[in-house]
Amino acid sequence: MATRPSSSSNECVGSAYPFRHSPSAHQRPLKVVPPAHLSKIKFSVGSLFIKSIHLKGIRAHQDSTVNFDDGINLIVGPNGAGKTNILEAVHLLCLSKSFLTSNDRYVLRRGEPFYEVEGHFESDIRGSVTVRAAFVPGEGKKIFVGGAVLERMVDLVGRFPIVVFSPGDQRLTAEGPEFRRRFLDNIVSQSSSLYLDHLLRYKKVLKQRNELLLSARKRRQVPDAVLLDSWTQELVLHGAAIIADRIRFTEKYAGHLERAFEQISSVAERPTIVYTPFADHLATPENASDLYQAELERRRQSELDRGVTLVGPHRDDLEMYLDEMPVRRFASQGQHRTFGMALKLAQYDYLKERSAERPILLLDDIFDNLDPARIGAFLDILDSDVIGQSITTAARKEIVYNHLGSHPCRTTFVETGGLVLEKEPTDVLIGTRDSASSD
Amino acid sequence: MQFSSESVEALVDQFARLPGIGRKTARRLAAFILKLPKAEVAQMADALIAVKEKVISCTTCFNVTDHDPCPICASERRDHETVCVVEEPGDVMAIERTQGYSGIYHVLGGAISPLDGIGPEDLRIKELIARAANPAESDPIIGEVILAVNPSVEGDTTAYYISQLLAPFEVKVTRLARGIPIGSDLEFTDEATLTRALLARVSM
Ligand SMILES: [Zn+2]
Repeated sequence: MATRPSSSSNECVGSAYPFRHSPSAHQRPLKVVPPAHLSKIKFSVGSLFIKSIHLKGIRAHQDSTVNFDDGINLIVGPNGAGKTNILEAVHLLCLSKSFLTSNDRYVLRRGEPFYEVEGHFESDIRGSVTVRAAFVPGEGKKIFVGGAVLERMVDLVGRFPIVVFSPGDQRLTAEGPEFRRRFLDNIVSQSSSLYLDHLLRYKKVLKQRNELLLSARKRRQVPDAVLLDSWTQELVLHGAAIIADRIRFTEKYAGHLERAFEQISSVAERPTIVYTPFADHLATPENASDLYQAELERRRQSELDRGVTLVGPHRDDLEMYLDEMPVRRFASQGQHRTFGMALKLAQYDYLKERSAERPILLLDDIFDNLDPARIGAFLDILDSDVIGQSITTAARKEIVYNHLGSHPCRTTFVETGGLVLEKEPTDVLIGTRDSASSD
Repeated sequence: MQFSSESVEALVDQFARLPGIGRKTARRLAAFILKLPKAEVAQMADALIAVKEKVISCTTCFNVTDHDPCPICASERRDHETVCVVEEPGDVMAIERTQGYSGIYHVLGGAISPLDGIGPEDLRIKELIARAANPAESDPIIGEVILAVNPSVEGDTTAYYISQLLAPFEVKVTRLARGIPIGSDLEFTDEATLTRALLARVSM
């Protein structure tokens, strides 16, 4: 039963079938520019922000519009009302998928035939750009930038840099290497479409090569040597490019991480990340291909025995240390939290430097479990000119208001059922919210 | 919307099997057929049957043809020392449309893909090697094999595999260059395409 608070944006979403082009679809979109890192000219850091977003058929939101300021934005509401869905939708417009799932069926509101999200972005460098994403089960998803449909979803990545802080970040420092690989891939992909291209191709080659190894093993045979070698060549081609980029990234990112850690930690510890793709050798971007090839040869028999590819960037890890201490095994809760936040702040800083624009920052319910000192340190950063636009969700506005004092902050209220309000709801509704947020 | 006739629904089912045709379009096509005069529908049906009855594959290049050898392999005006290797017959048509190629072809019938159960033995690779290695007495010796497979990981791997098998023979093996699409601005070209084009640059 959601209502639409703003009627002016009706025209942007609302046609029955979401895969329509806008009238200008065949012209080149006026303001669409390739990822800023492609530009040869270095701009001073520009601002980028999302001015408004319209959600239709997204989880809690049957039909909602949310407007944003270019500074601090706060979305307040009880758990389950649909605050996070708004962040997911913003993320979808920037990176073509939600940060919580890559399955669009989970993003779709139950019972709806399709979802549609449209956002209006403003950029110093690029002017206004409208991005629209639509998904129809069985037909797939399409993304339109400036009215023109994107040929591939991945062409969106990097145009609108974005960083998310969410409770799931805990897993970055505490759990398995796959979370760190995903983090690594997210940053490097947003700053290099070439990396993303290699990554997608690598994943395909890996599946093919694994199938070749596995089917031969099932038949108790050895795959044709020339054929296996052909897949190995293709694997090394893309895998070595990924490893080389990861090495370069880790070197550059180290400085960003130290600075970020300093900003939020009161303790003088030094955070480091170590990337060692080949345990016994010092890998460089130049020797990555040779080392990878050699390692595959060394492990060939085990690969044949087990029917699976055992070496490569799909098994990499990024080790994290505080001074000499391995974070994953020995850090305290507080250290995990600080390290996790520093990783994300450093991601922000890194992307800002690479894209010449301040990324959009999404903060999903991270203040609820944070101690006042860290909340304070964090809000100070949000309020500085380090960060451009930030959108924060919280169950209670007081957490943020108490620290912000008189600093400007645009607040949007989301009530149960995806009802979006620009003014604080009545007392009766507040009563409902308090009881709902007590879980 | 559902047609109330089983025969129409059956036709919709058939159209929906075609690549790129969803059910919505399939229904539109079926509605169009319903309105056509019977003679025209018969023509269409005949054309469908004819491709299966008359069309064979050329025993030299494996392109689709009504006659064996195909007009391209039979043509004396074509350069029989240059063979362009493609995945599908449609790729031959694409290259022919350019009118910029005068050599002959070899259609593989796909690309190597373990996930789809396609190995080298399922493609016309053996036949290609044979053409290059022991040409029939009447045929000229092949001087160049152009690998015009798709730039996918499967195409890349197939090209590498073939180049390995051709290595022992005195034949030049080339690959289509990957460049900037004509008509697109450098500025709007994605980084991956741009980098590949740089790597494949040519001297002037
Ligand atoms: Zn032929």
